[in-house]
Amino acid sequence: MLLREVDYARPSTVEEAVALLAGYEGARALAGGQTIVNVMKSRAAAPDVLVDLANLEELRTIGFSADGLLEIGAMVTCAQLVNSSEVDVARPILAEVAATIADVQVRNRGTVGGNVCVNDPTNHLPPLLVALGATFTIRSRESERTVPADEFFLGVYLTAVGEGELLTKVSVPPSNDAGDGFAGVTIGKHGTYIVDAAATVSDDGVRIALGCVAAAPVRATAMEDRLAGSDFSADSVAAAAQGLGASLDPPSDVHGSADYRRHLAEVSAVRAVLQAAGRRKGA
Amino acid sequence: MATPARSRAISLVINGEQVEMEVPARRLLVHFIRDDLGLTGTHVGCDTGNCGACTVQLDGEPVKSCMLLAVQADGSRIATVEGLAPDGDLTALQRAFNEHHALQCGYCTPGMLMSASALLARNPHPTEEEVRYALQGNICRCTGYVNIVEAVVAVGGGA
Amino acid sequence: MTTLTEQPAKTLERGYVGQSIPRREDRRLVQGQGTFFDDVRRHGMGYVHFVRSPYAHARILSIDVSKALELEGVYGTITGDEVAIHTDPFFEMSVEPGGLIKDYALAVGKVRHMGEPVAAVCAATRELARDAAELIEVEYDPLPVLVDAEEALEDEVVLHDDAGSNVVWSGVFDWGNVDQALAEADHVVTIERLHFHRFSSTPLECAGALVEYDKGTGEWTLICNHQMPGVGAIWMAPALRTGIDKLRFVTHDIGGGFGNKICLHPQYVVLCLMARKLGRPVQWTEWRTDQHTANAHGNERTFLDVEVAVKADGEMTGFKVKAIDDCGAFPRYEPLGCIIWAQVTPGMYAWRNIRVDFTQVCTNKSPVSPNRGYSRMQHLWLTERIIDIVASELGFDPVEIRKRNYVKAEQMPYETPNGCVYDSGDYAAALDIALDLIDHGSIEERRVKAAARGKLLGFGIGSTLDSGTNNFGQSTLLNPELQFSGNNEAATVKLDIFGEVVVTLGTVPQGQGHETTAAQVVADILGCPPEQVNVRRGHDTWFNAHAGFSGTYASQFAFTGLGAVKGATELLRDEMVKLAAFVLQAPEEAIELADGMARIKDGPEEAALPFMALGAIVNANNAFLPPDFNPTLNHRYVCRPYFGMVDKERKTGQLTLTYATQIHAAVVEVDPETGEVEIVDYAAVDDCGVRINPQIVEGQVHGATAHAIGAALFEDFVYDEDGTLLTANFYDYHVPHAMDMPPLKTGAMESPSPVAPLGAKGMGEGGGGGIHCIGAAIQDALRPAGKAIVYDSCNPPHRVWSMLQDPGSTRTNVSVVSK
Ligand SMILES: Cc1cc2nc3c(=O)[nH]c(=O)nc-3n(C[C@H](O)[C@H](O)[C@H](O)COP(=O)(O)OP(=O)(O)OC[C@H]3O[C@@H](n4cnc5c(N)ncnc54)[C@H](O)[C@@H]3O)c2cc1C
Ligand code: FES
Ligand code: FES
Repeated sequence: MLLREVDYARPSTVEEAVALLAGYEGARALAGGQTIVNVMKSRAAAPDVLVDLANLEELRTIGFSADGLLEIGAMVTCAQLVNSSEVDVARPILAEVAATIADVQVRNRGTVGGNVCVNDPTNHLPPLLVALGATFTIRSRESERTVPADEFFLGVYLTAVGEGELLTKVSVPPSNDAGDGFAGVTIGKHGTYIVDAAATVSDDGVRIALGCVAAAPVRATAMEDRLAGSDFSADSVAAAAQGLGASLDPPSDVHGSADYRRHLAEVSAVRAVLQAAGRRKGA
Repeated sequence: MATPARSRAISLVINGEQVEMEVPARRLLVHFIRDDLGLTGTHVGCDTGNCGACTVQLDGEPVKSCMLLAVQADGSRIATVEGLAPDGDLTALQRAFNEHHALQCGYCTPGMLMSASALLARNPHPTEEEVRYALQGNICRCTGYVNIVEAVVAVGGGA
Repeated sequence: MTTLTEQPAKTLERGYVGQSIPRREDRRLVQGQGTFFDDVRRHGMGYVHFVRSPYAHARILSIDVSKALELEGVYGTITGDEVAIHTDPFFEMSVEPGGLIKDYALAVGKVRHMGEPVAAVCAATRELARDAAELIEVEYDPLPVLVDAEEALEDEVVLHDDAGSNVVWSGVFDWGNVDQALAEADHVVTIERLHFHRFSSTPLECAGALVEYDKGTGEWTLICNHQMPGVGAIWMAPALRTGIDKLRFVTHDIGGGFGNKICLHPQYVVLCLMARKLGRPVQWTEWRTDQHTANAHGNERTFLDVEVAVKADGEMTGFKVKAIDDCGAFPRYEPLGCIIWAQVTPGMYAWRNIRVDFTQVCTNKSPVSPNRGYSRMQHLWLTERIIDIVASELGFDPVEIRKRNYVKAEQMPYETPNGCVYDSGDYAAALDIALDLIDHGSIEERRVKAAARGKLLGFGIGSTLDSGTNNFGQSTLLNPELQFSGNNEAATVKLDIFGEVVVTLGTVPQGQGHETTAAQVVADILGCPPEQVNVRRGHDTWFNAHAGFSGTYASQFAFTGLGAVKGATELLRDEMVKLAAFVLQAPEEAIELADGMARIKDGPEEAALPFMALGAIVNANNAFLPPDFNPTLNHRYVCRPYFGMVDKERKTGQLTLTYATQIHAAVVEVDPETGEVEIVDYAAVDDCGVRINPQIVEGQVHGATAHAIGAALFEDFVYDEDGTLLTANFYDYHVPHAMDMPPLKTGAMESPSPVAPLGAKGMGEGGGGGIHCIGAAIQDALRPAGKAIVYDSCNPPHRVWSMLQDPGSTRTNVSVVSK
């Protein structure tokens, strides 16, 4: 419940934030604090310096890039996602899923950047952003680079954001003709996922990502391939999911055995795909 | 450039009163409120951010004060349960909690009230479903939520 | 929704009693002005943090506190070695071997469960105390770990060397003739194994205390949240080698208890030692994770080799079972759980032949404590499982088989095979109310509709008894040497100088609204509005209002707590009448108390004395009273319910006095693809006799239902083989949130208790009705998918899914021999 001593700074520009993160050993970004403060309370981790991103207004905005991508600042909260007209127009699934993360208080503080940088296997946004084909913009002292979702999530608490770097925004292609779906099984309503799956179905094909089955979201590529040209009937989607579970090596814990998770992965993937296909424009 | 420090002089408004104090960076907002300011209406019910007993309003929005450092609240406006009825006249929501028997031990109550009053400010006539959604982050171990939900709905004029 | 089958109370004219008066506690609590122990501070106070064992079972090789003591702001430490020198082990209630266990306030030599406190440190701030705790170096030598109760029986690994065995207590209870019943039965149904899981009601406020030591008098004051201080003191004073009156327990508001705040004596003793050693007030606030890992779980129980005797027409004549109860690392309040279940031996049923072979063992898990529904809930779950398994295997309707076997209204009062007396009730009528509330007639239709949506619908009943007012004499059925019997509770009532009625309670409320209900009772007796009655908050052993068994537990406030209030108030009333008669020069029979006055019935208006006048006379203006008339207007009454003695040979007796009825009914939908269970309809019907305050009663029903729903679907303290608790916080130990709770329908009826002072039975614990009915509903839902048997009291999605995958593996658990 009580944290170790820590140093705190609240920079006012991204440059300053990156300089602090790079300049101090053991420095960590502090976004909404809904994970990191808890981790520090349990003393499972003890950063030496917290760099509070609260004053970086430029990270708090939602807008569109010149080429029409939906751009979500890293400090955008879940609550902001839920209420954003930009999100509603461009990719409403983001709001829909964000609205089911934990509770009002957590959504008021927890940020998109924090949610993806933590990459807790049970977090909602990582598999969703993988399915949506998002890209992540990372700033370091020297440069800025963009990483696709498939390369962003590396492990628990491990992403392409390196030491001394800052995630500044997440860019998501607008729906256009795509339909999106999200499904899974939680511990209690709006609770932690036991397994979840996100899917998007568009002219370009199907993208499916699973959560809670490995240290990072897993693409169900074989199922995606099998769905090429599918009529998306319940039977054909279920048939395409065959073997998905067997291809996974999920963890066992109190909430479910590996076998249960393998099974849920198939069920969730099927449900997410059916939902996505059903929502596809003109479907 | 901002220099990292072990403590910070913070200034914030709590229940309408300006407070200025030097606090260690590691102090949780909930302990600042309870121990440093002596406002003990805000409670602690867990160590993982699940229970919502510590809920306060930060710039009008409910947040869990056990997952914020006091230094993060620098420059903000905070409302705690003590600020709901400063002159002792209970608000309609507080009265409804009493009339509907929406509390037993009363330990969750301050957090519930802060979540519910934020809801009512946003949505004066919530449905039962909306109330449950708004209170999802507040655990009550005594009431099964039945009467809490009923009280909040009643304040909004619902059945 | 409330359905009320009103029956007139026999014992008391109703005035304020019987009304849903809004609670007077609420005003402070809704303003954040309640006082919980952690809200209280003292000058120079230190904060205590416990160093806890990371191992479930290990020898302590060394403890080095030197680095912690070097830290600035650290006041001092205490280790097990000091505890062993300055205190004695706590008193154990069991016979041998359990009685030989040595339980100290801190681990001495060995740790026996994860999270067990091994040392304590005190510092100037909360944060510093924790920093210092991290600097205390403890060396452990890990030992093999026991997490399985049946394995513990083998005694290959032994937790307590002093006892030499893991068995705490064991004995056979044999009433009627079960062998004959089985021989004469048309069907014998055998169930190999049922498991009642570990969970606890996890009150939102964790445990803790602020302890001050007065060097001059040797007295400790504990501002705390202990819910049974009377018994707490019985444990603590001898351990601390002091007198009972040297321990002053003070409680203000308490953030829920549910039995989880009964076994706080180990930590409290450490606080007492620390306060004395450091000469300063010290305080400790438990954290949630510590509450989960090392405070109080409910009793876990495995039932083996159940055999049930059933007649062709569905009459059930008896059963036998082997029960293994797992009490965790230390018995503490145990082995009382080995007998408490016997208060409800036959459940609600009229079978007369019952044999229970009961054994309790220690394992390397958190100690247990009497959690809401203590020990009866486990046993009632067994009886309800038996009924539903028998019904399902033999093709009886779950409603009909219950009605056929329930004890009937006309049999009340009903003596059970082990000599308990069910005081009143009409179980079949209560069941009918529940069935109406969930529209039982439409179940089959709803089942078809659900199936069309791909869901399996099921319906289940949980019929339970909420037994109240313990006879502590039942402890002598476990250990004949124990000097406990009966029960008692005290209250004081006085009339103050300005006419205010002041009540102190021996009970220790944690949300049950005692300030309100006590005022209702007093107001009716004295003929004044409840607003004129000030019921002091909390408990203070120095109010002299407590008795040996004081506390709030075992559903007994309505009987003993209010019985004491009633008794004291009647003494006060009689004296007020006498005084008024003297002053008004009228015969006592002519005086009535009404409207806050003592007056002559039908007399002139001036022939009346406001309470203030009476209070003022005795307290401040008494010279004119004659020497032989000495009213005090200040009375203490001890309510001592009559039980008679228990029969230690036959293990029979009046173990408890009142039996409230609770019938729960649930309709669930199971998602066959995922095993998720959704409760789509739910009703709970309560009959606790006269309801002093119906709204408060209903609130208790809601709360007990929520606990049961949580236990049935989510809440499970699961350990891995190393003895690590895997659900040590509210992330993994999911309790119901607002969105998890189905709409609850409640119904009520009133069968006044003929034995209770106000006709009101104890209530509130609830008997776990929700656990029983949800399990039954799941079993019903799974019927079309292979007829799996629900064998565990907790059924989260993964377990339901497994039952759907392999119903056969659960079915091998059950067999039927028909003649
Ligand atoms: C009770 C509870 C239940 C929850 N349940 C869920 C759930 O079911 N699903 C779910 O998805 N989430 C859940 N969350 C987590 C919540 O969504 C968190 O808010 C989120 O995971 C972290 O976001 P944050 O802004 O609070 O990040 P913080 O806690 O501030 O930071 C988390 C980590 O990310 C790093 N970080 C943050 N921002 C950046 C950045 N811009 N650049 C580089 N590094 C950065 C930090 O240094 C830190 O290491 C839950 C939280 C709580 C308290
Ligand atoms: S104390 Fe803050 S959420 Fe529990
Ligand atoms: S009233 Fe006790 S926790 Fe809600």
